[in-house]
Amino acid sequence: MSLRGIDFTALVLRDALDLAILVEEEAEERYREFSSQMDLHDTPDAAEFFRFMSRNEQKHGAELAARRRELFAGEPRVVTRAQLFDVEAPDYDATRAFMSPRAAMQVALRAEEKAYAFFVAALPHLRDAGVRALFEELRDEEVVHQDLVKIELGKIPPDPDVDPEDFTDEPLAQ
Amino acid sequence: MTTTTANTGHACAPGDYKSDLKPIWCPGCGDFGVLQCVYRALAAIGREAHEIAFVSGIGCSSRIPGYTTAYGFNSVHGRALPIAQGIKAANPDLLVLAAGGDGDGFSIGGGHLPHAVRRNMDITYIVMDNQIYGLTKGQLSPTSRHGRKTVTSPYGNLEEPVNPLMYVLAYGAPFVAQGTPADMPGLTAVIEEGIRYPGFAFVNVQSPCVTYGSEDQMIKAQKEILQPLSKMGHDAANRIAAMDLAQHYGKDLYTGVFYRNPVPPATYEALVRGLQASKQAGALPRERILDLFLQREPQDEEDGGSET
Repeated sequence: MSLRGIDFTALVLRDALDLAILVEEEAEERYREFSSQMDLHDTPDAAEFFRFMSRNEQKHGAELAARRRELFAGEPRVVTRAQLFDVEAPDYDATRAFMSPRAAMQVALRAEEKAYAFFVAALPHLRDAGVRALFEELRDEEVVHQDLVKIELGKIPPDPDVDPEDFTDEPLAQ
Repeated sequence: MTTTTANTGHACAPGDYKSDLKPIWCPGCGDFGVLQCVYRALAAIGREAHEIAFVSGIGCSSRIPGYTTAYGFNSVHGRALPIAQGIKAANPDLLVLAAGGDGDGFSIGGGHLPHAVRRNMDITYIVMDNQIYGLTKGQLSPTSRHGRKTVTSPYGNLEEPVNPLMYVLAYGAPFVAQGTPADMPGLTAVIEEGIRYPGFAFVNVQSPCVTYGSEDQMIKAQKEILQPLSKMGHDAANRIAAMDLAQHYGKDLYTGVFYRNPVPPATYEALVRGLQASKQAGALPRERILDLFLQREPQDEEDGGSET
């Protein structure tokens, strides 16, 4: 999780909204990629969960974009996707072929926790009151999202207490 | 950071370089992160996709050109560099990237690397070094560590690995860097800097194989041990200091620019252009070539040129 070239002390509300939209866009795209990976590797349940997460991120992004249009219609965007690195998007190394739905949900939970940590870490550096209010709102939303994923996790039985690596054979000569 | 292209003036975004092909790498593969870093570095450079040629060899990582909107050539095993050089020679205005894995670059294509380095064309070579032949199901590669058990070394690797950083530094590469998808901002920065460097730029990427790699090679483990050279006070203009650090390849994970020649040597294509210009300045006009060939005095066009 990182940002490149963004000074939080100078962040204004328009750019903060754009940043928040980009964060959601990045997460939406990542979940879409993950669902494709799972489809490709015959892991349909995890694929379906990642599609669900992608739709959620898309919805949040659209809400923020509507607010941005209302407040700053027509004003150019200054922050770009090139400045963001995995703020709310789960890490690429989080997936595995044949991962269980529970493992997929845990990926999403870690991503929501990461996003929460990002907004918490940013808050002390913010000077603009409007930006601060927005970041506090986004931080609190991440807690709601974590709770939603936890509810989903509670609906499914625990994974069997075995590690697929336990069944991996030692390399044999070809 | 908004960048614009020289030709059109419109801003480039990482998504502009993303093709419609969906990567078929194993979920969790390090190459996904490398691809993202390439998109971001290209957006920062701001050249449009049709101004970029991306060449690769064969292997998992060599699929990368297809996932971009640049002109791409998933070529022949080990031959990314000769083909990339040919493209650069034919059209020096193109931004040329070459990519592949450690087997492709240091074993099958190992003979091409020193000559690409000494020729010094303005090409950026990105090697996704996973220390294994993953596509063919996990055989030893030239960078597999000593003792590594694989299907071709069931009793452990008896050989010492190639050290790619030392290798290219020894051959005089003017820009040498290492990155990992465990540090995507850092990897993006070295790819971008490599592209901007006017000469042959080598970027070794420790990109773990999630299927055949060991736990200590995975991104999670890399995050614990990676050490950015920028925080170590390394002087990237000092080639000997770079070689000293490069000796730790396979033991410590240093990331960032190892060596950047502060006085970039002339590129091959610049030397060729200079040579062409000097030869053209002293060359006979085209209509005199026949006279020269026939070893005769210049002919007046009106006399019909019948004397031979």
